[in-house]
Amino acid sequence: MTDSDTTLALSTPPDDIDTVQDFVQRVLEPHSDIVDIDRFAFETALVELASNVIQHAAAGTGITCVLSIHADDHELSARISDTGTAGAVTLSGPVLPDDLAESGRGLALIQMLVDSVHFERVGDRNVWTISRARHPLP
Amino acid sequence: MNFRTETIAGNVAAIRADGRLNMVSAPLLREVVSAAIAAGTVRIVVDLSGVDFMDSSGLGALIGGLKVARQAGGDLRIAGATPQVALVFELTHLDRILQNHATAETAYRD
Repeated sequence: MTDSDTTLALSTPPDDIDTVQDFVQRVLEPHSDIVDIDRFAFETALVELASNVIQHAAAGTGITCVLSIHADDHELSARISDTGTAGAVTLSGPVLPDDLAESGRGLALIQMLVDSVHFERVGDRNVWTISRARHPLP
Repeated sequence: MNFRTETIAGNVAAIRADGRLNMVSAPLLREVVSAAIAAGTVRIVVDLSGVDFMDSSGLGALIGGLKVARQAGGDLRIAGATPQVALVFELTHLDRILQNHATAETAYRD
């Protein structure tokens, strides 16, 4: 597999999480040697992250967001940069809510699905990066 | 994503889901479960065999449906979880609360 870097710019609304997931699947599709667990984990983490961004944007007037995905033989990584308001983000390890809670699992899931999650406020943008090491090729 | 509800043996409402269960479709699932219960069927099974992707908002909708069904004196069970869906259940430990059944038809055979 060769390295690839692909970027999507979206504006929400009208773009939504399906726009993001269609993009992720399109980017990973040519990389047929990614094993299922790596694909599921990375795709799920990215959708959780983008959902988080879109959800917080929904409270205001919408956001623009730039999503970049990098894939190579060793790692899958992504960077999401958005114009949403600065949020209080704590990434102190995955903490799940009560079993019968109906929300609050997104950030915990992301931290379980990828090897690194990083958040920083850069100027007027929120920047998230995630990465997952791939299972070695046979 | 679309949902079809049908009554199967044992007076069970089987909700067949197809597509992605995410922040767009999860609110619809909540409505479909509530509608089945309001129509008088409190034993629900959500057939996930056509769901190739679920995130935490999908999980939240299933837990919400479970609570509504229990409050009505019934239950909500799941069937046919695909590999990505099963992974999300395992990681969140919700496979203890919502155990997967092979098919909708076997979900209440206990």
